Amino acid sequence: MSTFKAKYLTLDKAVQALIWLFLIASCVLVLIPLAFMFTASTMPAIDILKLPYPWISDHFHWQNFWNAIRGPEGTFEFLRNTVNSLVVAISVSFFTVMLSSITGYGLAKFEFKGRNLVFMLIMATMMIPFETIMIPLYMVVTGMGMQDSYVGLIVPFVANAFGIFLMRQFLIPFPNEVLDAARIDGASEPRIFTQVVLPNAGPAIATLAIISFRAQWDNLLWPLLIVQSENMKTIPLYITKFMAETHSDEGIMMAVAVLASLPMFILFFTLSKYFVNTEGLHSSTKG
Amino acid sequence: MRKRGFSMEQKKARWGWIFVTPALILFSIFSFYPIFTAFYTSFYNKNLLSLRPPRYIGWANYQYLFTSQEFRESVINTAVFTAGTFVPLVVFSLILAAFIMSINKFQRFFQMAFYAPAVLSSVVAALIWLLIFDPRGIANQGLNTMLGTSGVNYHWLSKAGMLRLSTIIVYFWKYIGYFTIVFVSGIGSIPYTLHEAALIDGTNRWQNFWYITFPLLKPTTLLVSVMALIQCLKTFSTQYLFSSSGAPTRPINVITLNIYNTAIKDYRIGRASAMSILLFLVMFLFTWLQLKVSKTEEVTYM
Amino acid sequence: MKKISSVMVFALTMLLFVSVVGAQTIELTYWTHTDDNRTMIENRYIEEFEKMYPNVKIKRVVNEASKMGDLILTAFSANNAPDLFNLPIEQEYGYMIHQRLAPVNYAAVGYKDAQELIDNYQEGTFDPISMDGVIYGMPLELTNWSIYINDRVFRDAGLDPDKDWPRTWEEMADISEKLTLRDGEVVLRRGFDFRYPYYLVSVLPMVEQLGGKLISDDGKTAIVNEAAWTQVLEFMRDWGPHGRNLGSPTYPAPRKIWNKDNNDMGMCLSGYYQQGRLKIDNPEFHASNEWRVVPFPVFENAVNDVRASYYGHYLVVNAQTPKNKQEWAWKFIAYMLDNPWEYLETVQILQPRKDLLEDQAFMELPYMDVFMSDMSKSHAVFLHENGYQFERFIGDAVEGVMLAGEPVDRALKTLKTRIQEVLDDVY
Repeated sequence: MSTFKAKYLTLDKAVQALIWLFLIASCVLVLIPLAFMFTASTMPAIDILKLPYPWISDHFHWQNFWNAIRGPEGTFEFLRNTVNSLVVAISVSFFTVMLSSITGYGLAKFEFKGRNLVFMLIMATMMIPFETIMIPLYMVVTGMGMQDSYVGLIVPFVANAFGIFLMRQFLIPFPNEVLDAARIDGASEPRIFTQVVLPNAGPAIATLAIISFRAQWDNLLWPLLIVQSENMKTIPLYITKFMAETHSDEGIMMAVAVLASLPMFILFFTLSKYFVNTEGLHSSTKG
Repeated sequence: MRKRGFSMEQKKARWGWIFVTPALILFSIFSFYPIFTAFYTSFYNKNLLSLRPPRYIGWANYQYLFTSQEFRESVINTAVFTAGTFVPLVVFSLILAAFIMSINKFQRFFQMAFYAPAVLSSVVAALIWLLIFDPRGIANQGLNTMLGTSGVNYHWLSKAGMLRLSTIIVYFWKYIGYFTIVFVSGIGSIPYTLHEAALIDGTNRWQNFWYITFPLLKPTTLLVSVMALIQCLKTFSTQYLFSSSGAPTRPINVITLNIYNTAIKDYRIGRASAMSILLFLVMFLFTWLQLKVSKTEEVTYM
Repeated sequence: MKKISSVMVFALTMLLFVSVVGAQTIELTYWTHTDDNRTMIENRYIEEFEKMYPNVKIKRVVNEASKMGDLILTAFSANNAPDLFNLPIEQEYGYMIHQRLAPVNYAAVGYKDAQELIDNYQEGTFDPISMDGVIYGMPLELTNWSIYINDRVFRDAGLDPDKDWPRTWEEMADISEKLTLRDGEVVLRRGFDFRYPYYLVSVLPMVEQLGGKLISDDGKTAIVNEAAWTQVLEFMRDWGPHGRNLGSPTYPAPRKIWNKDNNDMGMCLSGYYQQGRLKIDNPEFHASNEWRVVPFPVFENAVNDVRASYYGHYLVVNAQTPKNKQEWAWKFIAYMLDNPWEYLETVQILQPRKDLLEDQAFMELPYMDVFMSDMSKSHAVFLHENGYQFERFIGDAVEGVMLAGEPVDRALKTLKTRIQEVLDDVY
């Protein structure tokens, strides 16, 4: 994150006021749906589609949250499903970071025949829409007996082209002299990677970890296909239960939405530094 | 000395391969093999349910697609969605980033505020927006207040044009913050001395942005547009969740949704695979063109 | 490499282990859709069954109803399908056509032969799930829809529910008009609204009332009697927001909000089971006696007295399941289905076994006479290998004229072309 402050800008007052106005107005527009989610989650369903929308409820309708956690069948699967989502998202981001940095490092710092081809092939996978390979992928995964398990939810997403791209871009400007110095000191290549490269890739790693965590927290289609038992379901699947016709109640739905977003919001506020960090993307433009 | 250098290079090459092999194995199993299967299947008339062996039909699936009205519609829908989302996304995130960088307080606050929607999952986003776009929801109320009308239903989820606009709004809302942040750090990475030099030369603010900042942002712009374009072409969940919640499907039947329905609802996996391959090629072509036209060396993207 | 080979060895040992253990215990996987009350009683049946036959283990997997079709299809395409499952008959039909279902094992379900099984159920029960004289499924539920009325909403609009309930679709529109409350164009209270995605069950019969058909009897021509189709599409267009603005698919589904009695829904289209849901959702309203059920309407110029089609779920067995497991699956199905009264009372779903239908107490159930009378005038839902696809096409046409402002003739032309294309199979 650059600390560049626009000191060189001494815009006149009127222009500056307009800029502030524009920023504040867009900010309000962007935040309205979020405010709607939070306020609606505290209202009984009948108030949510009342004209005009009340915005502030008379009293906190806590039953929404109780019902959201209790679940349509009263089985409290919410907690278990949250744990599943966390396990999957954390594992995927951990393995993605490891694999992407190794691969990105290999592509950035080693000359070998076919390197560009390998990079092209990997990048090409970014252009495959998931719906395209959904069924063959399902066959592969069930063929390996990985359905309805954490392994099946995690492994197919570990190799991530965007992650490799990010790590490669970040590592290209990494000074070769440092690596060579370590080599001359007799360090083995894996050791150089773990002790020299990884410790210096912090910002990119954090950004990538957050990106892949978010993607898995959001993943709906794949768990829908391969998860069978209730206690392997993830949060997006839990939410779709409330969209089913027999159970939907707008207030409870919004409470589920709030609860399902909580872990992401907590991450967002504690790690905001890394959320708004895209340094990895720019290193090549600088270097 | 020479010999040593040679062997060192060989050694390095070997390590390069060792480092990329695990990823290649995973990609082979979970990406290359499935996409190859899709390509292979696209030449067959294969019913997902049938136990009979699929029938080889050559290019017939592709030929069919070029005459199919539904496919033509979904191509148009995807094009409309992509153009309608991609251009505003890039333009507005650039403007927002420039504005954020021009103020001297609350920079971090605005970045976080614009990014906040991206934290929500697509299912949650769809849930929220479905309620907002409900005829009794706050979208109608807000527009009625703003335009001074009363009780008008703007048909957010029903009229073809409005429905397309609604999906664009949801997407725009979700991704504007991310691209703004990419631009903010792009602008931040431009050396201050360049601006200083320009100011000494007597340029004004606008000229400064247009002749210094903007050209230097080209790599960032390129990166943002490639990413946004790929994202837009791949859009699925908003359209899927909207259409399964009562909105008419045809105006938002984008290619990915068409692929999904053709395979899962109609069992025609061969035809769906042919569509997938075409979409894949289009995405490939766009990315390649974009990089070719801009001819920038800075971002070695492909 | 070492790692991979050790994983392989591990996997192989596991496989061996599973197959050895598998020889002793029979493990059956049963996929079904969410239904809280049914889950309760079926879990009990499973427990009892496993106690009776300790060598059998049954794994019951529940998924949301609207996702079941996609899930089972994907599982079948990957040869990873459950041993037994249920789907709406419109979807199961394709599985039967493609020989993915095992024929009923008559001995295992406790009958001498097909005829004895047929004789034990209401006439026509097995028609949708039979092919070339072989039966492929046992009925889990058969449902037809009639009209539920909220008396309070009628009285609020100055109507008398005893007299003013709609007999025809024309009356339905007029009465709905009277019941509708709006804020400008935004509808706050609807009189009646359709069950939108289920066009084969409720909209196709409206076409048939007027003498129209989806495909000709020889199965070669799409859209018989365009006038009938035009009338229905025009009716739907007039119903929608660009016509008389009485309702639309983008409002919440009527049967959900009808139960709440929030003065926002006058009538809804639903099956007998709605009463059970009502009792849970809103016991006060259920007990109030201020609601009623009336028959499915017909058009004034109808030529056929057809009511909403009945549809169903049949329990079926995967044809690829080994024969001995199939037998156990049928035994288990028969064990569950031997409780039609409990299914009716606890889950409110009807399994038309004769001893149930002929029970005095059965016809005395609230409004059962309305449902049974409507059912006798209806037929099973339209079945075709591509039925699912046709329903989507009809949906596109209806939503096109109702919401997107598409002219009726163009929507009908598109519908006809699309269905004809499937019939001709343009490869």
